[in-house]
Amino acid sequence: MTVASQVKQSLASLKSMHASFQQFALTSTDEKAQRAFHEAMLLTEEVIADVKERVSQLEREEPQYHGK
Amino acid sequence: MPIWLEAAIRSVSILIGLFVITRILGKKQLSKLSFFEYIVGITVGDIAGTMSTDLDINLQEGITSILIWSLFPVLISYISLHNKKFRDFVEGNSTVFIKNGKVLEENLKREKYTIDELMEQLRKKDVFRVADVEFAVLEPNGDLNVLLKREKQPLAVGDVFPNPPSEKEPQTVVMDGKILDEPLATMGLNRGWLKTELDKQGIAIENVFLAQVDSYGQLTVDLYDDKLNVQQPQDKQLLLAAMKKVQADFELFALETQSEEAKQMYEKNAKKLNDLLQKITPLLKN
Repeated sequence: MTVASQVKQSLASLKSMHASFQQFALTSTDEKAQRAFHEAMLLTEEVIADVKERVSQLEREEPQYHGK
Repeated sequence: MPIWLEAAIRSVSILIGLFVITRILGKKQLSKLSFFEYIVGITVGDIAGTMSTDLDINLQEGITSILIWSLFPVLISYISLHNKKFRDFVEGNSTVFIKNGKVLEENLKREKYTIDELMEQLRKKDVFRVADVEFAVLEPNGDLNVLLKREKQPLAVGDVFPNPPSEKEPQTVVMDGKILDEPLATMGLNRGWLKTELDKQGIAIENVFLAQVDSYGQLTVDLYDDKLNVQQPQDKQLLLAAMKKVQADFELFALETQSEEAKQMYEKNAKKLNDLLQKITPLLKN
């Protein structure tokens, strides 16, 4: 597996985590838990932004991996 | 009027009357009877029984005595609700048997308790060494309650996790195959959500005997068809596993990459995720 595809896999996992956090933030009834999940969701968003940046860098450096 | 008919009418009306009286006396009477309440209960029952079978007894007399016997406890509990001194007088005080780990022999004697009886009561509470007890008190209703020494107390969640996530009571949303809308609304959910969740697990709503939602919005079900295996909700475990994997991947990428900038980015985010893991793990473990 190439580096680019590995990073893309992580990105997909991160997106799934983001969705799960969002879901738990909405369905939890405890306020503290809601807040913790919400913060986790925001943090995941930051990480996702960084990784997206890295993916486009990789694609620029090695165009043969583009879109794979 | 034939005698049997009179007896029948009497019995039925007394039964109804007794039912009303027990409702008035309330739940407390059931859970902890004081000796007085115990006697009252037996006497009322006895009067009622005699009244329904012994037709020689005048109904007026019987009803009067039943009313007095049953309303007196109501009166007493009403007064003791408002007056602490009266309450102590009626219900009695508790007696301390062990204080600071020392047995108070004087109090034992006052309650006519032998040390054997005390030890028997302690053993009922799974205490076999008197030395493990910090404090023990004999309640007015005869129960012995025991506070163990700190080092002998069972481990609680709060001892392990300083701030454990609170867990609210689960709501039952399907019972006997019928959807209960009120608990669903309490959780901020609706029938559409329930249907989606059941579809996810591949279950038809007709097959659900009981379904509960916990405070994290996870659905657990029991089916009519016991041969089917239902998956327990794994959303939390999956999320935790995904977080751990991504965190580990980032550390790996940071080692592998040639670019200094990317290395720093991966390290920073690996640390972020690690901190998040620490914080969120108690919420995701159950």
